[in-house]
Amino acid sequence: MNTEQVGGRPSLLGQRTRAVEADRLVVGQHRYVSDLDFPDALEIAIVRSPLAHAIVERIATEAARNAPGVHRVVTAADLRDVAPMPDYFDWAKPVAAFPLAVERVRYVGAPVAAVVAENRYLAEDAAELLECDYKDLPVTAGATDALRSDASLLYPYWGSNTMVDSSEPDPEVDAAFERSAQVVSGVYTTQRHGAVPMEPRATVAKYQDGILTVWTTNQFPHICRTIIATCLGMAESEVRVIAPELGGGFGSKCQVYPEEILVAWLAKSSSRPVRFVEDRVEHLTATTQARDMQISLEAALDSAGEITALRGHVVQDLGSEETYPPAFAMGLTAAASLALPYRIPRVNISMTGVVTNKTPAGAYRGFGLAEGVFAMERLIEKVARVTGRDPLQLRRDLLIRPEDLPYVSPGGAEIDSGSHLAAFDRAVELGRQAMADERERDRPEHLRVGLGFANYVEGVMPTFLPVSGRWRTGDSGWFEVNKDGRLTVRTGLQSMGQGLVSTLRVLAAESFAMDPSAVEIVFGQTEGTPESLGSWGSRSTGIFAGACSQAAETLVLAGRRLAARELESAEADIAFVDGTFRIRGTSVGGLSWADVAALGPLESTETYVPEWVDDVPKNDGRMNACATYTNSSQAAVVEVDSRTLHVRVLRFIAVHDCGTVINPTLVEAQVQGGVAQGIGGTLLEEFTYDDFGQPLSGTLADYLLPLASDVPRIDVEHIQTPSPLTPFGVKGAGEAGIAGPAAAIASAIEDALSDILVKELTSTPLTPWAIAASVDLAAHPVH
Amino acid sequence: MADREHDDWARPRQMIDVELTLNGAQVTTRVPARQLLIDFLRTDRRLTSTTVGCEHGVCGSCTIHVDGTAARSCLVLTAQADGCEIRTLEGIGQPGEPTPVQEAIARHHGVQCGFCTSGIVMTLEAADPSQHQSKEQIRHLLSGNVCRCTGYHKIVEAVADAWGVTDEH
Repeated sequence: MNTEQVGGRPSLLGQRTRAVEADRLVVGQHRYVSDLDFPDALEIAIVRSPLAHAIVERIATEAARNAPGVHRVVTAADLRDVAPMPDYFDWAKPVAAFPLAVERVRYVGAPVAAVVAENRYLAEDAAELLECDYKDLPVTAGATDALRSDASLLYPYWGSNTMVDSSEPDPEVDAAFERSAQVVSGVYTTQRHGAVPMEPRATVAKYQDGILTVWTTNQFPHICRTIIATCLGMAESEVRVIAPELGGGFGSKCQVYPEEILVAWLAKSSSRPVRFVEDRVEHLTATTQARDMQISLEAALDSAGEITALRGHVVQDLGSEETYPPAFAMGLTAAASLALPYRIPRVNISMTGVVTNKTPAGAYRGFGLAEGVFAMERLIEKVARVTGRDPLQLRRDLLIRPEDLPYVSPGGAEIDSGSHLAAFDRAVELGRQAMADERERDRPEHLRVGLGFANYVEGVMPTFLPVSGRWRTGDSGWFEVNKDGRLTVRTGLQSMGQGLVSTLRVLAAESFAMDPSAVEIVFGQTEGTPESLGSWGSRSTGIFAGACSQAAETLVLAGRRLAARELESAEADIAFVDGTFRIRGTSVGGLSWADVAALGPLESTETYVPEWVDDVPKNDGRMNACATYTNSSQAAVVEVDSRTLHVRVLRFIAVHDCGTVINPTLVEAQVQGGVAQGIGGTLLEEFTYDDFGQPLSGTLADYLLPLASDVPRIDVEHIQTPSPLTPFGVKGAGEAGIAGPAAAIASAIEDALSDILVKELTSTPLTPWAIAASVDLAAHPVH
Repeated sequence: MADREHDDWARPRQMIDVELTLNGAQVTTRVPARQLLIDFLRTDRRLTSTTVGCEHGVCGSCTIHVDGTAARSCLVLTAQADGCEIRTLEGIGQPGEPTPVQEAIARHHGVQCGFCTSGIVMTLEAADPSQHQSKEQIRHLLSGNVCRCTGYHKIVEAVADAWGVTDEH
């Protein structure tokens, strides 16, 4: 940091401090939106479309309106003054998303009408009495359907189902393929799955004295406020958004939903608060879904078998995309990030995002990296097989080396630092040890063990412009030293279980030479906090560190000025040492923060912008979209029952470098959570739809979340390579862990079943029947 | 009329008298016969420590104790709890006085967003530690409680610590 800090105060960074949130959460003192007490609130039940694609011909609300306890029933006809969610993208086709379906429904679960009643039970009774006549339209069930020339169009005025297409040939890449000795290719698919946090969504709104207050499960309250205000034609100063704390988000609450606009609108014409709490069955069709990408990838090899170029195409299934923001940035991220750990000189991956009659797609942890890494790692193993090379050695030969840093990828990603080779070597060492440990256990012959690896580089603190169409990268914090010497920090970052408050307190305490207990973090509300982009993209720690360092510099300077007057010295003679302002060279009579705060106001709003991040591509088309880059190497040891092809993950190792670690326990927790989600996404989770767009994963008995018995011991080893670019050298860890498991597990299964597999594993989930498709069943029958 | 006949037979809004013990206190109340116990606890009694994760008995977030046994309050009607002793997390440990399991979970950081935590604590508090003396058994015990944040690792470590389980795996 830039403040002159001399003294013997030990650093707070790197300590396993107990998370401040933990003690109250273990006794159940959480404060989610659904916990807030609104004794006079009216409750909403939403009538949702049972069809994937249809014209809404008639909605008869009379019976519902007359049902006991019902206050009102609304449809799109009542909400004509509500503007659609704004479209900020001039480079993608527009979707007009309304709170309730206007003329058409485009996915099962789309909100069609809302019943407002005294309680949810009565509201649901009335909802059952609502009559809706639909006229079926042909269903575009998936990306293949969407791309057909005779496809049924979700948005006829587009002329196609393609929302965004980034295909642009690269002559150098094409030339490398033309002169290649060999091409190795594959098509790799990650199934539709998603965040599914334990807390479903909830929104409450109240309109009083010209102010609309909205309590909602949202990761970016300020942006949510902007969207609500825009849709309702209000000034932002008339709207307040409060997101007290979230029961998990993982990106699914990094959206503005139709229900949020609807509840806000209903509140405006109601004397009582209006409340909507989503149930899980709704959640599984009404909250955004993710992944669902097919990545075709090919590597050009020269006569020595070296990879000279990589070319490929990402097709992303966006669902109906009636949400804000749309999710095509995930496909773009997959394309831009899948090859980052490897020194491949020419890379051109294009991307097409198509709409289909499925639930809208939205952000999910990893944001395209998981899908991309799966494809890249599968292809690398294929190249190794084809060229007769050891896959680990091939990775080693390709990985970024210390002397390559800073490494600029062909696409323009500026990887400033990392431990790519060291992390991989360590993961291999630990993975082999874990495998050896497992081999030593007695197990019947039909239970085979296998070992697999994966590497990835993850950009953190990214620009928000490709995602939001409007907002960029920086963020602000308001810092005030109170007269009692405590520091109050007001931030728009959001707490959703990642230990935000604990982390920010340590960073602030470190910057201001205070005790963490002297720092108060105010978050989760637009009122009294500066404009912020919220928490996503593993940005909170780094972005806050930036604002905090600037604030410390500003306020230490101000403190020195105040101290100088009080101590009748020149400002240049005042030093800030171990948290006190004192005359240089003396060790007595120092003034504390409380002392200087009593002399004059000490507050500052700081905006931190990592200037080196590109919000748009440079003139040459290359783009550095992230402030810095973490790296991780992972190993999975699996056990596969060769009779049933059921897979168990026995051990998982993650060697993880996120720069300077503020609290190792919190980072491990993020990695372990991400790995568990990765395991779920690899073996268990899927949003399946039939050919009529009917969702088949309607409950948690179908959409299988990983349980304690599905997830093994996850060993996390930290490497700390500080970033030279960020304050304290921090990077981000919010999305840690999730990008590698699919690749590592696929590789491990192939290792375990090497004698019976005849085809590579190219898609997830790796269910027994999916694996069976790659097995020579005639030679090796399975149950 | 057909509607009235249906209404008489189904009586969806029928009320029923219920007497139960809730966190040690006697409660006499009149609730809709179809009311779920979880809604009685959270809405009628404002006991919000118990959370609703799925309402179909899979995730375990709503776990409470009915007569000392762990039960999913989303699958119990308030009427079914008549004559029973109901305990929620509010009746287990107090702020500043956590149980050994609660303290261990906090210390090991086996809690992130906290949404699944009350269900997990209730499952653990209803269990007999002597029957779960390996990490594998602890995982099996917890396999009815879904957590999306932690990956379970630190929860298992916490329980092992609290229950004196020392095996590695």
